[in-house]
Amino acid sequence: MGKEWPKPSPKLLEKTHHLMHDGFHQRAFPDTRYDLPEALGDARWTDELIASTWYMAETGKCPEHLNYKTGKSGGGFDKLAFKELAPEQQLSADAEVDITLALNRRGDERVKRTIDVPWYGGGMSYGSVSVNVMMSRALNAKKWNTLMSTGEGGYPPQLYECAENVITQVATGYFGVEEKSIQAAPIIEFKYAQGAKPGLGGHLLATKAGEEVAKMRGSVPFVSLFSPFPFHSTYSVEDHMKHLDWIKTVNPTAMMSVKVSTPHDVDMVAVGSYYAGAHIVHLDGSFGGTGAAPEIAKKNIAMPIELAIPKVHKFMQDEGIRDNVTLIASGGVRTADDIAKAIALGADGCVLGTSDLVAMGCTRCSNCEGGPSGRGCPWGLTTTDAELQEWVQQAWGADRLDKYYTALADRLKEILRGLGLSSVGDLRGRTDLLRYMAGGEA
Amino acid sequence: MLAKEADRKSASTDDESVTIQLPLAEQARLNRERADQYHRYHIEATETEDRQKYPRRFNVKVGKVGLARLLFKEFFKYFGHWDVVFSRPCTYGVFSGPVGGFSPRPDLCVGCLRCEIQHPEFVKVTHNPELASLGDSYMTSKHIATIDEEARKGSVPVRGQGFRGRFGGPGFDQMFTDMSEIVRPSRDGIHGRELIGTSVDLGSKPMRLEFTADGKLLDGPKMMTIQVPFVYTAPPDSVGTGIVPEILAEAAAQVDTLVFLPESTVTAQGLASPNVVPMIAPSKIGNIESHGNGTRMVEMTYWNPDAWKQVKEHPLLVSVRLPFSGDWKSTMMEMVDQGVSIIHLVSDYHGESDDGRFVMDLYQEAHFSLVEKGCRDEVTLLGTGGIAGADHLPKAIITGMDAVGLDLPLLIAMQARLNGDTKSRGAAEVKLPSKLDKEWGVQRILNLSCSWRDQLLEILGAMGVREVRRLRGETGRAMWCGHLEQEAFGDIEGFPGGGH
Ligand code: SF4
Ligand code: SF4
Repeated sequence: MGKEWPKPSPKLLEKTHHLMHDGFHQRAFPDTRYDLPEALGDARWTDELIASTWYMAETGKCPEHLNYKTGKSGGGFDKLAFKELAPEQQLSADAEVDITLALNRRGDERVKRTIDVPWYGGGMSYGSVSVNVMMSRALNAKKWNTLMSTGEGGYPPQLYECAENVITQVATGYFGVEEKSIQAAPIIEFKYAQGAKPGLGGHLLATKAGEEVAKMRGSVPFVSLFSPFPFHSTYSVEDHMKHLDWIKTVNPTAMMSVKVSTPHDVDMVAVGSYYAGAHIVHLDGSFGGTGAAPEIAKKNIAMPIELAIPKVHKFMQDEGIRDNVTLIASGGVRTADDIAKAIALGADGCVLGTSDLVAMGCTRCSNCEGGPSGRGCPWGLTTTDAELQEWVQQAWGADRLDKYYTALADRLKEILRGLGLSSVGDLRGRTDLLRYMAGGEA
Repeated sequence: MLAKEADRKSASTDDESVTIQLPLAEQARLNRERADQYHRYHIEATETEDRQKYPRRFNVKVGKVGLARLLFKEFFKYFGHWDVVFSRPCTYGVFSGPVGGFSPRPDLCVGCLRCEIQHPEFVKVTHNPELASLGDSYMTSKHIATIDEEARKGSVPVRGQGFRGRFGGPGFDQMFTDMSEIVRPSRDGIHGRELIGTSVDLGSKPMRLEFTADGKLLDGPKMMTIQVPFVYTAPPDSVGTGIVPEILAEAAAQVDTLVFLPESTVTAQGLASPNVVPMIAPSKIGNIESHGNGTRMVEMTYWNPDAWKQVKEHPLLVSVRLPFSGDWKSTMMEMVDQGVSIIHLVSDYHGESDDGRFVMDLYQEAHFSLVEKGCRDEVTLLGTGGIAGADHLPKAIITGMDAVGLDLPLLIAMQARLNGDTKSRGAAEVKLPSKLDKEWGVQRILNLSCSWRDQLLEILGAMGVREVRRLRGETGRAMWCGHLEQEAFGDIEGFPGGGH
């Protein structure tokens, strides 16, 4: 049985917030006397990427003193660069650029939805994160006329105030799936698999399945929860179609998104999902985030998203269905440059997860599953601990994300102008605008 | 009516002793008893603490003056709000000792950096260089730290957040393994409700059943089954006698796998058993007769056709060791032609042949040569060398091995430190903890074996493959980073060998 910690007093909140917020500032800005912490960052999320995300989340601008474009993973997005046009051929800095994304391309009777930016927030369940984190993301999604997904842990009542911007996820454990939350959602997301643990289902460790989380999921407090893999009612694309039909009877207007990971035959899976009725095919690559996953799965099972996007894009083109489906990429998309590269490789848009958390202070320390304390994230992100979750207040979190999205949107427009494109849709599949940096990193 | 009919039916089972008529309740009781006797294979893992202090991950330095200044300031600022005064940035107890941050406990630090971000003026958290200095270019400090954790806990390492490392890479990192998206795989198997088999057969599988003229089954080829697709191989000479072989022999027995040990060690230490494989030089192959106590298999330490002729028909299984050197493939084919049914391919500790080729290529070459010759199932291929992490195990099997030999990971599980030449087999200087005892060592090896088997189940479960035998040589389950990059980026300018 886990220990429930008390909520922090107002004075403790005030002190901790001040120290944390000032700390992010001190590390992200050039005019302070502190260097980046030596132990911050890794090959995928370098110290500069993390600090630049903090900078963007505080200012709404991209930093000039930090590399906010690429990491040092030695492959994938980090090896790709854009072939910018000569300055006189680029669009002017004040030229209008359209970065909206229409999600329903099937031309059916379901809801038509265009979001203001070609990305939305990926699923993070209640339990893996707190209501405060969910609400921060939902409030920001509302402000940006985009979306965020509940993940598989139920639909906390507070979320209903942002219902138009919240995707309800149905995953293999059916935790917290209710008629009400399906009816409230503009999009229902079927999660078949998750990039960080493809083929392995989900796992919420006992220490994080506290009273409230268990109530929402209809389970026993402080007992580990496993989402099986796969849906035990789905053995084929035909079975999958039955799933979508089932949702249709509950909510006839919702769009359907199908989230899959990236196996060998990801192209077939994507096409099958489309024929089963999906409006959105969401590919989640193997380098994506997770509340908890076996280390062996993260690196080894399934392929990185950069390698899956072109495969699916081309196959859908060959099948003649590419323009009827929205292809969304996630799992290791960290920056505006990554978003643009994913689109140039063939996606329509992206889903962000980890970068939302980094904007709210994540240091990528990998203790989300509970860590030795069993309490979850010390920064208040991936935790439902009564004390720790208060370190992220909804208004503060939403404001950080708002500014972060501002910087992302500006950078994306800058890339498009540099390529002479006035719409993000024109970038899709334009691998001719990319350059592979064989000898070094982009 | 139905019950009455059932009552009259026999509780017939394969066991002829139970073919009497029984009432339903009795029948149910017997069935229950039989079910209770069923023992699903598992390895007994128990958390087993380190015997020598393992280098911590992070160092935490706190400036005492800065801390004193802060405490002084906060004492007055928050006077009366003692929860605030006594609050600490660390939720892991680094500053919760008797004198708090004045004497931090860096062993508990997990590197969340909250202390340093909040108090940059006097806290500094750094990677511990002592940890980084462990290992070499192949068996890195990350591998060693992971093996240590696996041997301590016996479980699958689980962490939050995504992958932190490099994209693809050399060696085994070139391969991603496949998963099965919608068809039903075996996730239930991972949690024990359905079986995923990890046992493998050593020897030559019967290709067909053969009968005598009067219909009696002739003896099939010699083979045996071990419960996991890995065996333990002989430690370097510096620790080749004494407690290490004893530990390995006991662990092999408990896991129901094999350990390969020099025959002199087996004899001198009285280790002969069904799970110990004495390694015998061809010149002494006549000694095969001397290993009793249930010995099932011996290994000839190198290929010698004359010595082989002496033991070819021996009732014990005989494997033959073949290093990846010179024209190893021709030798392998000759061995197959001469009827060798277990070939033990051996590379150096970095998984390389004497001409620098990596085992993943070599294993495929060996496997597909036998496939082409049409005799793959008549030969067992064991591969030893270069296994540094749990993921290497399924990858070696995918590239064609029936089972894999573990070497350095076993020593690292026992907290050995390696010095000197850590590439050449047998030459490494190994320093074991001074407090090494048999019980502790055996449990650490069991824990490592349990963790690696469980991780193998994760990989098999994700693929929907229900037994590891079916993974052998299944290169269709491999996704090669280089091929995928070629497919994805081949038309992009600057991509080696392609682009506009
Ligand atoms: S524990 Fe918190 S800070 Fe650490 S990686 Fe997870 S979300 Fe980020
Ligand atoms: S880095 Fe985190 S775990 Fe380490 S001492 Fe600081 S607060 Fe504690």
